[in-house]
Amino acid sequence: MNLRLILAVLAAKTAMFLSRFFGRGRGSSLPGMLALRIYPGILKHYRHQARRGVIMVTGTNGKTTTSNMLSGILVRAGYTVVTNREGANLLTGVTTAFIRAGSVTARVRSDYAVLEVDEAAFPVVTRWIKPNLVVITNFFRDQLDRYGELDTTIGKVLEAIQKLPSSTRLILNADDPLVVRFAGETGYPSRFYGVRPVPELAGDAAYSREAKFCPHCGAEFMYSIYLYSQLGDYKCPRCGFARPRPDIEASFVQVGLNGITARVDDDEGDWKIELPVQGMYNLYNALAAFTASLVLGVDPEAALAGLKMYSPAIGRMELFAYGDKKVTLTLVKNPTGFNQALAGLIAGKSRQDVMIAINDNDADGRDISWLWDVDFEILAQRPDKFNFFICTGKRAEEMALRLKYAGVPVSALHIERDYQRAIDGVLNGRGAAAGLLATYTALWPVEKILAQRAERVVYNDSNRVSPVS
Amino acid sequence: MTLTVCHLYPDLLNLYGDRGNVLAFVQRCRWRGLPVRVEEVNLGGTINFAEYDFLFIGGGSDREQALMAADLGARVDGLKAVVEDGLVVLAICGGYQLLGRFYRTPDGREIPGLGLMDFYTETGDKRLIGNAVIETGLNGKQVKLVGFENHGGRTYLNGLEPLGRVLKGHGNNGLDGLEGARYKNVFCSYLHGPLLPKNPALTDHLIALALQRKQEHMQLAVLDDTIEEMAREVMVKRLLG
Repeated sequence: MNLRLILAVLAAKTAMFLSRFFGRGRGSSLPGMLALRIYPGILKHYRHQARRGVIMVTGTNGKTTTSNMLSGILVRAGYTVVTNREGANLLTGVTTAFIRAGSVTARVRSDYAVLEVDEAAFPVVTRWIKPNLVVITNFFRDQLDRYGELDTTIGKVLEAIQKLPSSTRLILNADDPLVVRFAGETGYPSRFYGVRPVPELAGDAAYSREAKFCPHCGAEFMYSIYLYSQLGDYKCPRCGFARPRPDIEASFVQVGLNGITARVDDDEGDWKIELPVQGMYNLYNALAAFTASLVLGVDPEAALAGLKMYSPAIGRMELFAYGDKKVTLTLVKNPTGFNQALAGLIAGKSRQDVMIAINDNDADGRDISWLWDVDFEILAQRPDKFNFFICTGKRAEEMALRLKYAGVPVSALHIERDYQRAIDGVLNGRGAAAGLLATYTALWPVEKILAQRAERVVYNDSNRVSPVS
Repeated sequence: MTLTVCHLYPDLLNLYGDRGNVLAFVQRCRWRGLPVRVEEVNLGGTINFAEYDFLFIGGGSDREQALMAADLGARVDGLKAVVEDGLVVLAICGGYQLLGRFYRTPDGREIPGLGLMDFYTETGDKRLIGNAVIETGLNGKQVKLVGFENHGGRTYLNGLEPLGRVLKGHGNNGLDGLEGARYKNVFCSYLHGPLLPKNPALTDHLIALALQRKQEHMQLAVLDDTIEEMAREVMVKRLLG
């Protein structure tokens, strides 16, 4: 028996216990960090312990939601699943997930491991754990100061995947050319999912598009339709690289107040997908999870039932009720996600108050210049929709400055560094709704305070909204 | 009288919130009632250098920068003429590097720049990343500028005036304590963040220079910069204590 292994597991499990006991954080990275310190090679003991296979989800946005949806489907289908649920998606988080699921002798009895893996951590994690299936959601600009430019990030993920066995299967977003290139450049068996590009779904946020040029020949892409950011129906006029026909495609997309419905079909049949969450990006996440579950042999109806029951993780558009007031909490971490969140605020029927919490810790990205790539101008154009904006977090002033230059009147801007006062301010505004947006490290404290003041709202089986009692 | 801003290659060079620089220039003109318009010029588009009062060049990823260099290289004579004539230019990061003599790659190859200013850049082994504060003189007044730098290249000035001296951060090369470069009315810097919104003194200096070049001698109206100053102070305090 390997003494170092047992020591590392024990240290990690002790840390897990203590962090629960003291209620500090959720202990999702620290235990793994301790274990890796004691025994850097610990992950290799978990390599073959998911009997039916390892699924990794990577990409810029939607990793947490997609992997939660997929593990939800698999659990409902009767499988046991190891997963890093809290979005702890670096080497430390993956290590924590396995140690938590296993015994002190590092034995894990599970069918699948569903792991969301940070794009930059992907080469490191796959050195220890080889996935059988890789889901790639999309590539947008995210926290450049940590990773260098987007091209570099994509190149490193590609290189890591090329080092995997050629039997590794890929689940790829057909609508993102930066993702589709992985099929051609690896030659691995790939399945594509996408949304049928029809004019009704065309987005108009013209900024922060990443893929203007064909990754193969460098010519400028021609798009017949943009859905959002660079997702859409693209074609290279020079070499012919184009959006592939998806194996799983959503059409007749209906965006309602309480969720999204769409038709999905493949060559064999068609089904109705019903999601209890809003946002086109969540439709993409669901399509990724659905496609992956079909590849894993899950019955389509069972997979769809699992998606219908999905409840969002923290900050992925959580809903609260403060008296009669509808309160949403959304994680923002890059221009594309932020633009989607703003579109959600604008779509709300009632007049609302907004709080934005911006931190610049390592986990948020120390460079916050991406705030200037977000289309806040659309808020200034709709003064009928918003009363005021409270800016909080370590970079509250910069956020207020961004809104000022977007054209929001200075009288509607408030800077309040204290989370408690900022949250009380937005909850007690005159608006019938409140929208709270926070970067990664601001999300936990904001969520905690909000949960003390407002009731969490969950979706029940019949897809209607009801507060938790 | 209208101030005309040229935003070069916004489709290509849109990294690090660069459009915030153009936005700051434009808004601070508008808030003073100065008519201003922006012309966005993309690859292959028409550039009428003589019509512009302010030219902004940002940075991009390597591939995009190579495209920009080729496109601008074909028009270097026109650009050189207006620079000598005092056109107000702000060039950030990759746009900055492009104006120099050359960029030396790790294998010793020298990729020629536009040669408008006397400096050169070479690849370093580690990227220089982080928040920075520099001190610069604007109209004889010492001003602290804040921003975020993220560059692999090391730039060396051949006696050219820097934009400022590094108080905290890396600057041009992490060695000589200099940041950016100045020549006539051209201002170059590695600082994004973007640079202009939270450094209103620099923005107003650029506006004033553009007006002077147009023979419009007017005092710029004072604006309420409370939020600008707060955003700047946060970083000055954090870095300098």
